[in-house]
Amino acid sequence: MRRRIISVLVVFIAIVLLGKACIRRDTVELEKPKLRPKADVIANNYKQPENYSLGGIDYLMSENPVGNFGGVMVLSTIGEGPKTFNPFNTKDNISSMMSEIMYDGLVTTQPITGEVVPKLAKSFEVDGCRYIVHLRKGIKWSDGKLITADDVVFTWKDIILAGFGNTSIRDSIIINGELPKVYKIDDYTVEFVTPQPFAPFLRMLASPIAPKHVFLPAVKKGKAYFDTFQSTNINPKDLVTSGAFRLKEYVPAQRVVYGRNPNYYEINKKEEKLPYLDRLVYLIVGDVNNEVLKFEGGELDVISLQGANVARFKEMEKHSDFTVYNIGPDTGTMYLSMNLNDRKDSNGKFYVDPKKQLWFGDVNFRRACDYAIDRKNMVLNIANGLGEPLFTPESLNSIFLNKDLKPYNRDINKAKELLRKSGFYWDKKGHLKDRFGNHVEFDLYTNAGNTEREAIGVMVKQDLEDLGMKVNFKPIEFNSLVNKLVSTLDWDMVIMGLTGSPLEPNGGKNVWMSNGTLHMFNQRLEKDMNSKRLPWEKRIDYLYEQGALAVNFEERKKFYDEYQKIVYEQKPFIYIYSPIRIVAIRNKFKNIFPSSLGGVTHNIEEIFIGDDN
Amino acid sequence: MKLFIYILKRILQTIPLLFIVSLISFFIIRLSPVDPLAELKLNPSVSKETLQRETERLGLDKPIIVQYGKWAKSFVKGDLGITSNGESVAVKLKERIPNTLLLTIIVIFLSWIVGVPLGIMAAVKWKTPFDRMLTVLTSIGMAIPSFFFAVLLLIFAVKTGWFPIGGLTSSNFLEMSFSEKVFDITKHLVLPVTVLFTISLAGLQRQMRGNLLDVLDSDYVKFARAKGVSEFKVIFKHALRNAVNPMITLLGFEFAGLLSGAALTEYVFQYPGLGRLILEAVLRSDINLVMASLMMGAIMLVVGNLIADILLIITDPRIRDNGGKQA
Repeated sequence: MRRRIISVLVVFIAIVLLGKACIRRDTVELEKPKLRPKADVIANNYKQPENYSLGGIDYLMSENPVGNFGGVMVLSTIGEGPKTFNPFNTKDNISSMMSEIMYDGLVTTQPITGEVVPKLAKSFEVDGCRYIVHLRKGIKWSDGKLITADDVVFTWKDIILAGFGNTSIRDSIIINGELPKVYKIDDYTVEFVTPQPFAPFLRMLASPIAPKHVFLPAVKKGKAYFDTFQSTNINPKDLVTSGAFRLKEYVPAQRVVYGRNPNYYEINKKEEKLPYLDRLVYLIVGDVNNEVLKFEGGELDVISLQGANVARFKEMEKHSDFTVYNIGPDTGTMYLSMNLNDRKDSNGKFYVDPKKQLWFGDVNFRRACDYAIDRKNMVLNIANGLGEPLFTPESLNSIFLNKDLKPYNRDINKAKELLRKSGFYWDKKGHLKDRFGNHVEFDLYTNAGNTEREAIGVMVKQDLEDLGMKVNFKPIEFNSLVNKLVSTLDWDMVIMGLTGSPLEPNGGKNVWMSNGTLHMFNQRLEKDMNSKRLPWEKRIDYLYEQGALAVNFEERKKFYDEYQKIVYEQKPFIYIYSPIRIVAIRNKFKNIFPSSLGGVTHNIEEIFIGDDN
Repeated sequence: MKLFIYILKRILQTIPLLFIVSLISFFIIRLSPVDPLAELKLNPSVSKETLQRETERLGLDKPIIVQYGKWAKSFVKGDLGITSNGESVAVKLKERIPNTLLLTIIVIFLSWIVGVPLGIMAAVKWKTPFDRMLTVLTSIGMAIPSFFFAVLLLIFAVKTGWFPIGGLTSSNFLEMSFSEKVFDITKHLVLPVTVLFTISLAGLQRQMRGNLLDVLDSDYVKFARAKGVSEFKVIFKHALRNAVNPMITLLGFEFAGLLSGAALTEYVFQYPGLGRLILEAVLRSDINLVMASLMMGAIMLVVGNLIADILLIITDPRIRDNGGKQA
């Protein structure tokens, strides 16, 4: 009997010890990490490559320190990995990123200022509707054939404008039902003509250029064949590319490996051909936790950090071989929206209860909600201090951000005053009633599973209940929520997020134009397309149209400034905050200039591994 | 000949079974609120025309029964269709099946080769400290949830750096020599195999022990012992042959789990197997891919059971005669 007790005890102790070994003592929660706005300083040191001709070939010359050749950089991507390596077929971000590494566009975005700068093109001129692009002479595809105007004209005329593959570029440059035209002037000059001035077109020139001698046979076989052309099953040797790196190996669900393109057209100051790195590897990982483990285990060189991990990595940084960079605000925006819909569905029933329509349609009510929301508190508690309160539809790193729209703090008295102005009152229990005596009660949705939005929901609910409203917070499954937002339209209030482009507000036209497919706050279904518009909706329609037509940046900004001001005042969307992007990069890599607009890899061909490693 | 008719009968029986399985799963997937286009709908840069085209391409504009009919028709023809991204389902599955098979076959092989002898030894040494120790260990093995164990091992890998963190091959796999490649894969396999092996071993060992104990208690074993047959002969010639029958049934189930048994572990270890592919497909409501994997699971189960039954007929004369009469 005693032996038995002893043996049970021994086993028990063994288990306890085993468990103990696995637990790391909780480190005392330090104050919220204060991150220096490091990346700005570093990014400002970045020098844009310049044109440089050598032996009749128009190279691009890197202006940053000369480094060593060789080595590997391992990055990661979360999810399922690329679906295709054909840059014209991509439907998701990962596929586009993976294929655009290999194919350069005529122009690119300066990663610090956001200007449009030449890439595959040597230079370009814009004159109203005409865009003249001069190509580099003598630069080659990875198979040794010259890159000429034929490739550019073919790509635009026969792929993009002809509607092959993913047509989103084509769809976005249809101007009054007409498409731009493209002409070959000589072997190294191409001219684009838009039917009328259309500013967003310039950035469209960043679309990849395809080698005509490879893509032409595929195009001839028709659209159905093109959709399967250069799928992930392709032999990497069959890809003919222009970018710094080209596909070397794709292992499904594990990684994408890129090798150097020996014919890349950028050289360093010693006139050696870039890129420095031999290989670029993207690991395909299933979730964030695995990504973090892989970084800690040394299998990854670069990682994007979120939430609690930032504080932990900041602690580890002191005695580890990486640096944590604050790249600044993300392009994502998080907002609270009310349903301003006052129409009926096909059964004659209102989408939104008429009494609620009176609340949501009242600008004072929307502003009151806005004042009641404590953005700072949310940034501190939900984003671990890694965010910036947001008040405008353009993200904080947008070059079109209207800086005159000042942030403000929570002001519950001002909120109450606004509500009183519209005839709302409080009963003895402190419940908010409208002037007809209805208690203000509504549902607040968000997508379940997104912990950040759920946390915001809880805080928004608390903030609004301080005004005496009753908020029923209901996180529901993402797909059901989308269905509510775009089809059934039976919702009151929602917390959602959208990513926009920090460079081109016109990308948001589906959200802001009153007939847009994502005009969530007042979604018009096909049958309602001709229903009346609110005065400020009409104004935004006008501003969006004009903003796209104006070509000059200052002129465009005026239109987009005004639209931001209208949103700031009318509050169809109540913006909450914008997260800050934090990345950790191993110190052995040099020429690292992370920036808000360009991320970490905008100068991937210049990144090298330093001497001391 | 009788055996042949029996097999034929069994195969014919599976047809209505597969039909019902496919019908139920198809409708459950399609009636769930998962919208395969939800992501696209929320993307501001996707135009209405693109959405419309996608809806038509995926056949979502037709009634479910028509969608099912279309799917069933091509399935019968042996065409698994394309995924929602336009890739061939058959190719996708083919990419992953060898990886999953590699993992599960190693696990099954190891756990049988270790589990069955351990079970026999535990039964023979019944109520000795050896048996008790094994009981405690296998109880732990059965009680620990596989994903939790997997996470623990991953943390172990990070802290010690002895093992890679998930995956199947290292990033410089292409440049390795053959022996390095073998070593690399082995290194990647150690942790997932450990997890699956621990769990599978526990069940097998206890099953074997229980079976053998039952048989050892029976009259004919007692009689054999009384007759003075050597203990070795008693166990291996008389007891074991009778104790092994339930194990064969179990083997049939193991066969069914060959392709689907390791999904959770695969996910935690980021193992490029079928489990991860299918989980991701379910989340996206990628109907063709999910259906293909479900049907594959159903067929594997049926085939596994069939194999087990045939093996039983071969090993056990009682069933053979009985089965023969019925057939």
